[in-house]
Amino acid sequence: MNIPDGILCSKTHEWVLEENNLATIGLTDWAVEQLGDVVFIELPEIGASFSKDEVFATIESVKAASEIYMPVSGVIEEVNEELINSPELVNDDAFSAWLVKIKPTNFQEESSGLLEYNDYIDEVQ
Amino acid sequence: MEDKKTALYNEHIKLKAKMVPFGGWLMPVQYEGIIKEHLTTRESAGLFDVSHMGEVYIKGKDSLKFLQSIVAQDVSTISEGSAIYCHLTNDKGGVVDDLIIYNSKGIIDDVDYFAVINASRINNDIPYMREYAKGFDVEVINKSDDFSMLALQGKNAKFIIEKMGVDLLNQPKFFKFIKTKLDNIDVILTRTGYTGEDGFEIIFENKYASVLWNKILSYKKDYNVVPVGLGARDTLRLEAGLPLYGHELSEDTTPIESSLGFFVPKDKKENYCGKDLIMKQKLKTSPLRKKLFPFIMLDRQIARADYEVYINNKKSGYVTSGVPSPTLQKNIGFCMIDFKGLEPDLVAKLNNPTESIGMNIQIMVRNKLYDAQIVKKPFLKKNYEK
Repeated sequence: MNIPDGILCSKTHEWVLEENNLATIGLTDWAVEQLGDVVFIELPEIGASFSKDEVFATIESVKAASEIYMPVSGVIEEVNEELINSPELVNDDAFSAWLVKIKPTNFQEESSGLLEYNDYIDEVQ
Repeated sequence: MEDKKTALYNEHIKLKAKMVPFGGWLMPVQYEGIIKEHLTTRESAGLFDVSHMGEVYIKGKDSLKFLQSIVAQDVSTISEGSAIYCHLTNDKGGVVDDLIIYNSKGIIDDVDYFAVINASRINNDIPYMREYAKGFDVEVINKSDDFSMLALQGKNAKFIIEKMGVDLLNQPKFFKFIKTKLDNIDVILTRTGYTGEDGFEIIFENKYASVLWNKILSYKKDYNVVPVGLGARDTLRLEAGLPLYGHELSEDTTPIESSLGFFVPKDKKENYCGKDLIMKQKLKTSPLRKKLFPFIMLDRQIARADYEVYINNKKSGYVTSGVPSPTLQKNIGFCMIDFKGLEPDLVAKLNNPTESIGMNIQIMVRNKLYDAQIVKKPFLKKNYEK
């Protein structure tokens, strides 16, 4: 598993990588490890807009359902359809198994509250 | 209050188990992963630390009379060396706990019966039993802190037990038990479990816990036995259609309403708490107030405990347990349907298995209704060796 350069993480365990005004969002490896076997992921509709900290998806392990929060505000551009039939890909590699890509609406300002990966790991461990 | 640790706590930590609080204990929820642990138990063998379960000794000349007065089952039907699944009932016919009672006369010195009870109910059951024991020449002794308990489940369990010194021919049969030695350690070996697979539960003094645990796991190479946590214990018992106290069973629900009438005999003579209502329900002279139904989701959504259940768009109950089934690859669960407020026609249909099985219901998942279907119990055929 490769941790992509430049990712930022939220305290609710989402990662976001912004490139050319497109932000890719996923769940951190630490969070996935805590969840265990992922069996179901519910993703939003393309075109839906969400504010920072709003629930945009649900991930279910064998044990429980967990909500996933927007690390920054934006409009859904793309969802990772592969996860609908193969949710376990998130367990295999939390960083290549992205959940959604969004057009962020206020990235500069909102991302300042996010943590770099190493600081995030220090915080959760 | 701080959660208690079993004698195997350090073994779980060594195996990097994820530990969670459960019934007042800190227990492993998973080691390598719930799905793998579940499937390995179904395919070969799984080892569970169930030391949190409570053990109670019943001693005295009125032991049988006393037990007959507190459980719905007929305990007089089990001979020495046999066990029976029972419900401890209250005077409203509700279930205080579900337990297994063992007739240990001549097997454990001067102990007439012993019971294995739920960890989360030890603090209810013991005072409850002692209160009812007052009119009898009987002693109720809480032995929960003295014993550890392992469950070894799956089709390879019997071969592991054989390697540890008890030949296949000398092993107890289904719901029987013996006092024996495993690798020279004194144990009570019972052919019981909670997974729907053939297997054993092993009860012994705490000091032997690590030795027995590691010895059994040392058969991994030959018999593919893995440690299994509470996560897979839950998915395994649900597939087998087995109830869990606090979910399918409660103080406000009779065994009949929990669809466990099989464990309530019609012809037991002795009176017991709540017998009047329970027997009326059993004999269908009193209507059920609610009833437990097994269901499968017709959608990919997973039903979880406490989700609302709808019939014809009317809120009619709640999910008691729900999981994705690793063996069936379907999402399964139990729900309690409240008959109050339902049309009499619908209640009649629900009460008639030929009509209720196959009936569609809806489960509310994150504010949307999804289709599910009432099915027959168990979800998966049990593999007991009788």
